[in-house]
Amino acid sequence: MSAPGTDEIVVDHLTKQYKKLRAVDDLSFRVRSGRVTGFLGPNGAGKTTTLRMLLGLVTPTAGTATFGNQKYVDLPDPVREVGAVLEASSAHRGRTGRNHLRMICRAAGLPDTRADETLEMVGLTPAANRKFKGYSLGMKQRLGIAAAMLGDPKVLILDEPANGLDPEGIRWMRDLLKALAGQGRTVLVSSHLLGEMQLLADDVVIVAAGKLIRQGPVAEVLGDMSGGVQVRVRTPQVPELTAALSELDATVTPSEDGSLVVHGVEAAAIGHAAFTARVELHELATERGDLEQVFLQLTAGKAGIR
Amino acid sequence: MSLVNAELFKVRTTSLWWIMGIILLPLYAASLLVNWANSSAGAPPPDAGVSDTQSQAIEAALEPINVATNLYTSGQFFGILIVLLLSAIIVTSEFFHLTATTTFLTTPRRESVILAKFGAAIVIGLAVWLITTVLNLIFVPPIMSNLDLGSQLGEPAVWRAIGLNALAFVLWGVLGVGAGVLIRSQIAATLILAITYVIGSAAVTLIFFLLSEYVAEWISNLQVLVPTSASQLMISGTDLPGSPPRWVGAVVLVGYAIVTGFLGTWLTKRRDIS
Repeated sequence: MSAPGTDEIVVDHLTKQYKKLRAVDDLSFRVRSGRVTGFLGPNGAGKTTTLRMLLGLVTPTAGTATFGNQKYVDLPDPVREVGAVLEASSAHRGRTGRNHLRMICRAAGLPDTRADETLEMVGLTPAANRKFKGYSLGMKQRLGIAAAMLGDPKVLILDEPANGLDPEGIRWMRDLLKALAGQGRTVLVSSHLLGEMQLLADDVVIVAAGKLIRQGPVAEVLGDMSGGVQVRVRTPQVPELTAALSELDATVTPSEDGSLVVHGVEAAAIGHAAFTARVELHELATERGDLEQVFLQLTAGKAGIR
Repeated sequence: MSLVNAELFKVRTTSLWWIMGIILLPLYAASLLVNWANSSAGAPPPDAGVSDTQSQAIEAALEPINVATNLYTSGQFFGILIVLLLSAIIVTSEFFHLTATTTFLTTPRRESVILAKFGAAIVIGLAVWLITTVLNLIFVPPIMSNLDLGSQLGEPAVWRAIGLNALAFVLWGVLGVGAGVLIRSQIAATLILAITYVIGSAAVTLIFFLLSEYVAEWISNLQVLVPTSASQLMISGTDLPGSPPRWVGAVVLVGYAIVTGFLGTWLTKRRDIS
């Protein structure tokens, strides 16, 4: 394997031990560029601690978290390499949004004009001269994204960015992050909003109790865990259809609302079997497993307060 | 340099600086009036029950040159208090307003951030020094002529005192940043610094007075180890009888600035920011 570039995130046997709590426990995973990676886990799973170690804010007890093979502190120009949105409320209450961004520009050696450009990008231009304390939670999230984009970085890291956004805001962010990944950037998004992640992420990294539970492309993780797709069938002639399907090696499970859930065969085969058996169908629908079920299955018993 | 610029930008873009300015101006005016009043009070009568050293000290303090250095550095006490608090707040506000994350993401080398904060504190110290000094150069000459002492601006000792006064402002700024790192809570830092600075220096003077009266005279020489006494000593015009030489005051202050500076940087590098 060739040496990873700085736009690839490499977490290698990362561990953080607080006094009594092992917040992150021997965690290893990789995040590739050009894709949106969802970093999922119940509250307290160690997601934020992992991101903070990756960004040099928290010192790991053991292991490393790097960009390629470089630590965040060792990046020659971190603001142009990596943008991060860690908490929505991290600006001075009495400072305007524009000045918050200009402050970062000055420290990072970027021109002040970048502040206005990113404000425009996140749609905050009308509120640029308003003080931070007057911002709604959604506006604070947008300002955080603007701050992360100041250096036009190759890697974007967001911790629970959907918190506090309204449906329109969530959709806006989803489109933005997909577009950024489409430009070849690396996008790592932590969240516990699974429905949202299913729409947004290409890959997922699932953690619980500080340990890696599962990593891979969303479709693969869903496929593996829910035993493939299932088909929901509704018919007034349940015994006839069950008999017809049993010849196809399908597993048929009656569900509470009177419909049948079929595993092991595709919708087309079921339709054909029904047609040849002259069975009347009222509904025939393919259902893919959803991330929420998979997630709950995977993290069952591991969540909870530690 | 751009980091110092960024730190100063942070101070400029909140309402803190003009609040501190509004507090400083009346306090400056009050200290100028008090210094004027003290200078015109005159020497105590010979039978007033003061010791030889004390009366020598008082006489020395009333020499025109010492009156001049005292007046031309008016506002030092409160000016330095403001610089001390502003410098501490430069650090504590990062934690109070949760901006430390943004700051250390932008500049992951934390020693650079702390160095920039020291730089910004020095600039702030010099700015406040410049304001009080300009005001003094405007208001003190008329006061001096009112005291029949002449402006004394031709005396090198006066300019040396003004220069050393600048050094005091700078060193207290550095001390403030160090203190801000050590006491991370904004409210605790401002209260502790203000109280120790204002009441503490009076209390310390009293304690040292009692100790030297009832225990041993040499103890009073240790008073210079207290930062406020040290900066007072540093700017006095000529060497006053019964006090250590001026440079001792400077050395003590530089020492404190270096210790808090290094300790502050070391602590900031080690800490987890969460």
